[in-house]
Order: sequence, then C-alpha cells, then structure tokens
Amino acid sequence: MKPKSYKRIRLIRVTLAYVVLTTVALVMLFPFIYMITTSLKEPKDTFNYPPRLLPREGVTTQVAGKSDPLPLYYVQVDGQDKQYALLESNIRIGVYADPNSPDTTYERPSKDVNPTGGYTNQKTVAFNGKDEPLWDIEVDGQVIPMVQVRQTALGRFVNPQNPQEEVLQNVRLSQPVQNVTARPQNYDDVVKLQNMDRSLMNTMLVTILVVLGQLTTSVLGGYAFARLRFPGRDVLFVVYLGTMMIPFVVLITPLYQMMVSVGWVDRLAALILPWLFTAYGTFLMRQAFLTMPKEIEEAALMDGASRWQILLRIFVPATVPALATLATFTFLYAWNSFFWPLVIINTGNEANHVLTLSLNVLRGRASDAPNIILAGAAISIIPPVLLYILAQRFFVESATSSGVKG
Amino acid sequence: MTTPALSLRYQHIEDTRTKLLLNIAVIWHVTLAVILAVGSTFLLVSLADATIPIAGGMRLFMIISSALGAVGSVFAARFIAKRDHRGRMLSLGINYLGFVLCLILDLHILGVYIGLDVLGGTFKYGLPFLLLAFIGYLIGAWGDRYDNDPLRQQTFRKISRVVMIAAGVLWLFAVGLVDGLIALFAQFNGPLPFILTAGIVVFGVMLRGMWRRPSAEAMHAKRQHEEALSGLLFLSPNLFGFLLFFAVPLLFSLLVSFTNSDAVLKRDFIGLENYRQLLNLTVQPLAAPDQAANQVLDIKVFNELARFNLFGQNYVIGAEDKLFWLALRNTLLYCLMAVPFSVIPALLLATLMNSKIPGMHFFRAIYFLPSVAAIVGISLIWQWLYNATIGYVNYFITLFVNFVNQLSGAALADPKIQWLSDSRYALIAIAIMAIWSTIGFNIVLFLAGLQSIPRDLYEAATVDGASPTQQFLKVTIPMLAPTTFFVLVTTTILAMQLFEQVFILTNPLGGPNNSTLSLVVYLYQNGFQRFRQGYASATAWVLFIVIFGLTLFQYRRQRKTGNAYE
Repeated sequence: MKPKSYKRIRLIRVTLAYVVLTTVALVMLFPFIYMITTSLKEPKDTFNYPPRLLPREGVTTQVAGKSDPLPLYYVQVDGQDKQYALLESNIRIGVYADPNSPDTTYERPSKDVNPTGGYTNQKTVAFNGKDEPLWDIEVDGQVIPMVQVRQTALGRFVNPQNPQEEVLQNVRLSQPVQNVTARPQNYDDVVKLQNMDRSLMNTMLVTILVVLGQLTTSVLGGYAFARLRFPGRDVLFVVYLGTMMIPFVVLITPLYQMMVSVGWVDRLAALILPWLFTAYGTFLMRQAFLTMPKEIEEAALMDGASRWQILLRIFVPATVPALATLATFTFLYAWNSFFWPLVIINTGNEANHVLTLSLNVLRGRASDAPNIILAGAAISIIPPVLLYILAQRFFVESATSSGVKG
Repeated sequence: MTTPALSLRYQHIEDTRTKLLLNIAVIWHVTLAVILAVGSTFLLVSLADATIPIAGGMRLFMIISSALGAVGSVFAARFIAKRDHRGRMLSLGINYLGFVLCLILDLHILGVYIGLDVLGGTFKYGLPFLLLAFIGYLIGAWGDRYDNDPLRQQTFRKISRVVMIAAGVLWLFAVGLVDGLIALFAQFNGPLPFILTAGIVVFGVMLRGMWRRPSAEAMHAKRQHEEALSGLLFLSPNLFGFLLFFAVPLLFSLLVSFTNSDAVLKRDFIGLENYRQLLNLTVQPLAAPDQAANQVLDIKVFNELARFNLFGQNYVIGAEDKLFWLALRNTLLYCLMAVPFSVIPALLLATLMNSKIPGMHFFRAIYFLPSVAAIVGISLIWQWLYNATIGYVNYFITLFVNFVNQLSGAALADPKIQWLSDSRYALIAIAIMAIWSTIGFNIVLFLAGLQSIPRDLYEAATVDGASPTQQFLKVTIPMLAPTTFFVLVTTTILAMQLFEQVFILTNPLGGPNNSTLSLVVYLYQNGFQRFRQGYASATAWVLFIVIFGLTLFQYRRQRKTGNAYE
C-alpha cells in the first residue's frame, strides 16, 4: 500500500467522521438553541413564517410632526432601496390603464381620482368586452381618461428625515426593517405569570434536601454493607439490588394512599421524605467503599478510632468522586422529576409547585405564547445545564457507573 | 461454638456508675414492658371501637409491635440483670426503635414536616448565606494547596470553618428560624407532644447508657457484637426508608390490586376481579368480514378490539377493557420504534467517536446534553418544533422537498404533517423526540464499554488479516455484549414507562384518538383521574410483569450469544 493513498483515504475517512459527528451535534443542540432564541422573542415575532431563529424586533423611528414612533420599512424609491416610515396604511389604490395601451398602468389613490364626465354622468368605454367606467388620470400634466384595471390597498411611506418624500407600496409585501434584539423581559413575564421564582425556590429546597439525604443514607448504608458484618447482610443486599428493577409505577398507588393517611398530600414533605433513601446510591457507595484497602481501617481501629470517625475521616474523603457522581445523579433525578409531584401536589396549589409542575400549568396558561413557555422551560433547564458544564465528568460517570462493566 | 465457662463468668469489676446505669436499665425495661403490654391489650380490646382514629391495618400493626416490644423488654430486663450480652443487644434495639419512633412522631405532631412548605417560601432569603457557606468551603479547599505550610493550611481551614458556621447560623435566621421555633413551641398544647419529647429524651438516655464502653464491657459484649450493632445502626436510616417507603408500599400495591379501592371511601376485597377485567379477551369467528361485532360478542361486556383473517376464516377479538389493550399496543409499538433507533445509531456513533481524533470529549459533552434537561422542558420545546405551520420540523421538510425538487425536477408534494394532531403520526413524533433525548446517553454508555475492550484483541485481529468491518463484527460487538445488554434493557424499561411526553404533548391526554395512550398514562387516568386505584394497581403489576418478561427475554438472548465467547 502506497503511503500517500493510505493517508488520503484516512483523511477522507476522518473528514467524513467529523461531518457526521458535527451534523449529529447540531441536531442535538438545535432544540436548545431554539429554546433560548425563542424565549427572547417578541410575541408577534414567534409566529413568523418561514420561521427565523434569531429574535427580531421592528425598528421604529420618529417622524417630524408625529408624536408616536412609526415602524420603518424597506421601500423602493426610483430604483433605490431606502428605509421609510409607514405613515398610513390601507390607502385604497386604483390601478388604471389607458384602454388604448393597456400595458402601461398607473397607480393613483382612489380618493384623488375623479370620474371622467363627473359622478352623475360618468363616461364608459368598451374594454375587454365590458363597459368600463372611465376615470381622469393625470400623467405628466395631461389628463387622460383611463379604465380601472384593479384595486389594491397600499401604505403610504415617508422619509423620516423629509416627510414630504413619500411613496406608496403594498404593506403586506414590504419588508419591515428589523434588528436582532432580545427581549429578556419574557423571563420577567413568566416569573410573574406563573410564580416561577417560588417554584424555583421550592425545587431548590427539595433538590438540596433530597441530595443531602440520599448522600447521607447511602454513605452510611454503603459503609455498613461494605465493611461491617451483621446477620442478614448479604441477603438484604441482594434484596436491595432486586428492588432497583421494580418500576416506580408499581408503588405509586399505595404511596399516594400513604401520603393521604399521613396528611402529606399537597405538601413538599411528600416530595422530600420518601426519597431520602436510595438503593442505587447504597449500591454505588458500597462499590466505592469496597475498593478501600482494609489495612487502613484496621490500623485506625487499633488506634482507637470509632467506626464513625473512620467513615467520616478516611472513607468519605477518599471516595469524593463517587459521592459527586451520586450527587449529580440524584440532583438530576430530583430536579427533573414530574410524575410523582404531579400526582401528589394539586394543580391549584401553586405555592407548593416545583418547576416541572409550573411548566405543566404554564403550557395551558400561555398556550399561544411560545416565547413565554420557552422562557419558563429555560428557567428549568439552565441550572442543570450550568452544573453539567461545570461538573461534566461526574454526570457522565453517573451514567456509566450504573453497571456498564457488568 | 461454645466458649469455655471460665471466660463467660469472667467477672468485670464494674464501676459504680455503670452498675447504677444497668440497674436503671433493668427498671426501665420492666416499666416499658408494662406500658407496652397495657397499650397492646387496650388496643386489642378496643379493636372494634371506631372512635379511635387509627385504621384497621395500622392498629393491628401497633398491637403486634407493642406486644413484641413488651416481650422483648421483659427478656432485656432479665438478660441485663444477668449481664448477658444479649440483653444489651435487645436493650439497644428496643431503645433505638423507641427513640426513632418518638422522634418521627414528635416531629409529625409538631408539624415540622408540614412546615417544610413554609421553608419553601423563605428559602430565597437564605440564598446569599448558602453562597457564603459555599465560599467558606472554597476557602478551605484553597487552603489545601499549601501542603508544605501546615500553619497556613490550618489558618485557611479555621477561616473556612468559621465562615461556614457563621453562614449556617445566619441562614437559619434568614429563613425564619425564630418564627419557626415560636410556631413549634405553640404546638406544645395537649399531652402528646410532651409525652413524645419525654420519650425521645428517655430513650436517648437509655441508649447512651447502654452503648458506652464501660457498659459494653460490663455486659460482656464481644467485638463481633459491636460490629453487628454498628452495622445495623449505620444501615438503619437507609433500612427504615427502604421498609417504610418501598417494601411496605410494594406489599400494599399487591394487596390493593386485589381490592376495588378508590383511595378514599371503599376498599373491599374483590380477589382477582381487577386482573380478570383487565385481561379479559375473547376471540369469536365471524361469518363475514364485515359482520357486526355485536352479533357474536356480548356487547355488554366486550368491546371490539380488532379483526383478523386466519386461513380464510374471519375472527373478531373482543376485549373487556379495550383501552388497556390499546395502551399495551401503543406502548409496544412505541418501544419498537424508539428502542432500536436509540441503540443501534448510538453504537455506530460511539464506534466512530472511539477513534483517536481530537475533539471527542467535546462531541461527547454535546451528545450528553439532552439527558440533562427535564423531559417536561424538552417536550415543551418539541411541541413548538412540531407545530404544523410555524414549526421547524415541517420547515426543514419543506426546505428538503424544495431542494430535491429543484435538483431532480421531481414534483414532490410538501407533506405538511400535522405531527401532534394526526393520530397516525403522534406516536411517531413522540418516538423521534425520545430517540433524540436518549441517544446521547446511550452513546456515552457505549463509549465506556468500547474503551474497556482490550486493545490487543484488535491488534491480534489485524495481524490475522481481519478487515475493519470484520473486526467490528467479530471483536467489538461480542465484547460489547454486556454493555449492549445493559443499554437495551434500560432503554426498553424506560420506553415501556412512557408518560411525561404524552402528558405534555397531547391534549386530550392519550393523544388524538387514543393513539398515544401508553400503559402508564392509562394507569394515571384510572388511578388519579377516575380514582379506580385498585384497578390502577393491577395495571401496574401487569406492566411490571410485561417489563420483567421483556428483560428476562433479553437476558436469555444475551446469555446465549455471550456464552459462545466465554
């Protein structure tokens, strides 16, 4: 094999690989980009077709003699592109043509045009097989009777610097001058509309407590399973492992009834306390603690350290990566959970909502305002993403540690 | 194994304090036994008394546990008096359970659990102090760099500790500790809070008295007893949670599925009626393909589910719970769409990424991103992407169709699919979204698996003259079998529990014409909209059996193909 062609093949393959991977990456990122840009859009801008990614807002300008700013549009004046302000729209325009040379048309505002021969005695001419009324059209100083070929409605655009210069153009076909701007006020709106700051606080509280709780019980339990011998330990551990296979759906009815009987329905306590223990976390910490050498522990015991001290000062600092992995896994689970909060917390009790529930209510409440909905979604998605960017390694670890290596 | 009598009777010289504590312990256990026995009998006698607001099952549990507690306490008293180590274990166990029980109940009576709601409202005032605590932690971590300057390290640690503690205290006050304590003390009306708090103190003191080293020695506790006790102690929070919030609900779930419970009023035992109703199917022959179903099916019981033709004979399937079978079909269809397309492309992409070209970490980071976002949020985004008029999905299709038309001169029509409102496409739309959100996760899993395959296998294969394709088929795929199994199983289990996407994206719930009704959605409708909780429980168990069956099936297949390479 000649080295040159081998290199070329390799180059092609590598380029192809990058193309594929980049395309997939763009597909992965696109919905998030869409979410961010739409959440910064003006309400009118969101329903544009064809859809545009970046948020835009119409530019307005002050015109002398008018108190309110007027929107700017792109207009054609004598073959040049200019930006004029829309002064008046829906001006009735008639399109007139000389019956003798119907190819040349002239546009005149309908109200400025007088019928040939006066209103009571308007002249007509045979045109295209019908009797068409004639109108007096002024062209270059001459008045020529013409027939009206069609009607349309145009807008009057004026030069903002010199309001005397004006041009008539179809408003709907004209491009408004737009700048790429952001409207972060959407976030403010959604917070006010849906009490999202309270939901954010609730979610933070629930997540922090659940993460701390699960870390604590998993560390304690993992240590017990890994290093302490007590009757029934191995059987119990196998039972723990088995429970990881049972889907949550099976537990939901009795858990709900339990919450009813304890009075925790509609309370944050129901979102926190049942989730303070986890079989997966215990399993993870047990695996982590099993890798610690026994000699250290034995030496510490001989020095008179209590089990508690050994756990806290030796095992925990040494297994920080595993702790971080468990913390991120639990964080994601608690932050993004929806099914159980939906069941337990009433839709009306918005003071106790978590972010996912708020989004659910928002979906109905702002169903025609994607900029608001996606701003809410962004509030819910951005914190985990930030954490992900900072601690990416542990997120990936939490996925792979669940048992990939058998 | 019996120890020689000599060592058992080795007399410890107890100090007076220990002797006093142990004697108190004996008295305490006798008293406790009496209290529990009285309580148990009282509950037993008043079993039929409806004025006591405790449910039947709970009452039975209390009777049995207090009876056991009384008996255990008696034995404990005896064993302690004889300085038998079993007495210590019994005592510790009973006192610990009593302590935990009193603590939990006390917090409940004082409304601490309910008070967490209030904390949700005041949490924002505490945020700056949480930040301060975090900064304190960072200061300590910064100080860890100065390993060669212990004095400096100590100063940093001291500052860190002070800052964190100060931040913690300030946090407590900012979120309303004062108000909380006032409210707490206001709850101390009536005897129960006082009794429980007293119980906490007494149990706690007894625990301390029995746990301490001199008492342990006096009671002839051996090293393995200590270890076992420590083990159970460390495991106890975990175990309590497991029993209370997992094992008991699991058992109850099975029991409830045999009732017609509606979570509020009734709970009558109806045996397997729920399951029968759920799974009741019948197949009847039809005289003609278009014969009306009510001529062969009992229309009061069965709904027509489907028709089919086998060897020329037409049949109609009737189901008592048509929606269940529909949900089952939808869920399985969804799995069939979502799982292969989440797994196979993930494997291929992971293989592509496993080469040594730079930037792989960057790609992996991006691919994993969709797994970090909440499904609710993702569903909302995709709802707008799927919008038939202004959504980007249809827009890209339009662009693509125009491109192809320009290129080849064909006149393909722009389909303008009504993704979420067309009953043919709704499930597909959800499947596509699910593939998008899970493929990254699976890629990461496959990458980890690929990186654990030893390089020498590939080298040996290259030496043997295997082409890259052959290497992929004969080395990569078999060695990846455990990972593939894991990915398949987890993706399938998740897919079978489809709920959130359907809930957010479809209106009415279950999609246009029940085309997106999944098993969990159906369960939710039954359990929490129609409040047929017994029925919902039965559905959950059927779902579990289906998932278990699928997992078992995949496990068997993996064993078969995996064995060839062991």
